[in-house]
Amino acid sequence: MHLNFNFLGRFTQDLLQGAWLTLVISFFALILSFALGLCVALMRSSKSRVLQAMGRIWVEFLRNTPFLVQLYFFYFGLPELGIKTDPVVTSIIALGINGSAPNCEVIRAGLLAVKTGYYESAYALGYSSFQTFRYIVLPISLRIAFKPLTSNCINLVLTSSVAFSITVNDLMGVSKTIAAQTAKPFEVYIFIMLAYCVFTFIISFVSKAIDRKISIRL
Amino acid sequence: MFEKYLKLTAYDAVFLLEATGTSLWITLVSISIGTVIGVVMGILRNSRNKLVSAIPLIYIEPLRNSPLITQLFLVYYGLPVVSGIVLDSNTAAIITLSLNTGAFFSVLMHNSIKAIPGAQWEAGLALGHSRLSVFINFIVPQVMRLLVPQAITLYINQLQCSSFVSLIGLIDLTKAGNILNLRTMRPFLIWTIMFAIYFIISYPLSQLAKKLEQKVAFSY
Amino acid sequence: MPMIEVKNIRKSFGSNTVFDDFSVNFDQSGVTVILGPSGTGKSTLLRCINGLETIDAGDILVDSLSVKEKRNLREIRLACGMVFQQTTLFPHLDVLENLVISPVKIQKMDRKEAVDKARALLDKVGLGGREHSKHNELSGGEQQRIAIARAMMMNPRALLLDEITSALDPEMTAEVLRILEKLAGDGVVMLAVTHEISFAQRVADRVIFLEKGNLVADASVDDFFSGIKSNNERIARFLQNISQG
Repeated sequence: MHLNFNFLGRFTQDLLQGAWLTLVISFFALILSFALGLCVALMRSSKSRVLQAMGRIWVEFLRNTPFLVQLYFFYFGLPELGIKTDPVVTSIIALGINGSAPNCEVIRAGLLAVKTGYYESAYALGYSSFQTFRYIVLPISLRIAFKPLTSNCINLVLTSSVAFSITVNDLMGVSKTIAAQTAKPFEVYIFIMLAYCVFTFIISFVSKAIDRKISIRL
Repeated sequence: MFEKYLKLTAYDAVFLLEATGTSLWITLVSISIGTVIGVVMGILRNSRNKLVSAIPLIYIEPLRNSPLITQLFLVYYGLPVVSGIVLDSNTAAIITLSLNTGAFFSVLMHNSIKAIPGAQWEAGLALGHSRLSVFINFIVPQVMRLLVPQAITLYINQLQCSSFVSLIGLIDLTKAGNILNLRTMRPFLIWTIMFAIYFIISYPLSQLAKKLEQKVAFSY
Repeated sequence: MPMIEVKNIRKSFGSNTVFDDFSVNFDQSGVTVILGPSGTGKSTLLRCINGLETIDAGDILVDSLSVKEKRNLREIRLACGMVFQQTTLFPHLDVLENLVISPVKIQKMDRKEAVDKARALLDKVGLGGREHSKHNELSGGEQQRIAIARAMMMNPRALLLDEITSALDPEMTAEVLRILEKLAGDGVVMLAVTHEISFAQRVADRVIFLEKGNLVADASVDDFFSGIKSNNERIARFLQNISQG
């Protein structure tokens, strides 16, 4: 068995375009998943029973159904109700919603880890409850949640590869085409696996550097 | 009225049931094999010999840091071309999912063993136990408590991931959804039904994991 | 003949040398208290005797068995029971099972006999009736008393006590020390690293003072607290600091 990866050189442009699309999808999905995750975490920590229940249903539903089915639901199911979006936007929305569940869980754990002493000392300094949350509690909990958030982020980037199944030409989509064209699927997929590994190593390298700066031990 | 809209027959119900069986079967076989791989690799990762503990990383890291779907395509489409061994989609699915589960399980195993304080080892040794006896009588039971809830969560995750096998043509639950969808042209309802089936299988398990985690939680 | 002979040992952690050519003997009777500032190797000494740390040079003999021989370790550890500073109850087992499991597994003691013995020891440490509690239902002091009982289950000839009260508040410390005093009265041999001077004064027969891995003083308890205390400035200052702290 001798492997030759040289032929991939001809597809540099395609691969770069695919990689760029993967980055774009991941980036926007990441922002969406964080914003939604934060909202749902706040719902779950609120005093209202109704909000708590809604937040819980949101998370449980997303965690207990496959992402692929969620993606198909958005791409094939929603148009039946008249909601139609193009594949890339659909992937971003589906990934963002899917990623909000694990993000909610780690942010919520971060919120719970903030000790009552911080609330009390903030009140004692004259902060209102909103100010306490905004300037004290939230920054502390996000720092605690930072590490698990980055591992959720890596997960999201990897999951984004499924988007090819609704015709998105991301890194995985492009590689599928190349594999078919060249009849060298082994080399192509090995190369793509390594490419994703490079992505995730960069993310974890950067996030570790950031974590060292901002981490606090309670 | 509703039946007319849905266009599903009793035959389709059986078809869905069979497909559910396929999904569960694939998942069950691969998490079993994956667990065995994970236990072995996890223990190796905890070896005091630096080289031995590093070797499993060659297997673990690429699998944890690349998409499962790429791994599946590599085994199903790629492996036959270079090795000449043609795998049916069933075998390819089980091989890939097992190896993938194994990689994640070894990390859980490694971290659970590492989480047991060294003082527990020393207390056992000081009472006259051998290292093996400490491991079996004191470390393993504590590791199990940490590991089991996390393992169930991993298994649930692998059940969701088993839906990817539909992309190499295996008729699992998700593929059955595709097929029924094409026939009935009622995607909204079909995918809602898919949600329901996956949820009904997965939700009780995730609750079990949560209960176990609360029940056996202990601090040192 | 001494029970424990520490002969010219050297022990270092990386570049930090704890002992260099250190020797001391312990007889098979009485209570020895080991005093000294933090980081002078008191705990390391106990851990080396029990084979939890390996020594770089020299030798330690327990009942003439060398700790350097791996196959001696079990016998040495059975001869020297050890209780640690941090709580080390096995969290997956209840109190009774913590006591019973080791004699049953190691010494092949009959289970019923082990249970009876465990009950008697729990009574002795004042925790009869708590046998089915879990470790997180117990206070720190109670956990340490159970750890003492657990070590006693193996019939050790000596107990090595490694700062077992330093993580406890004064009230719990007092209840643990009361138990030790009782055991000393029963003739249990002890080697105790502690900062509890009053315990040393009341219970110890011999006091050893370590500093930077050297034996600064080794005397009977009376001599130590009357003579050496006033003659040695360092020891005097140490004792003064402790009693103030």
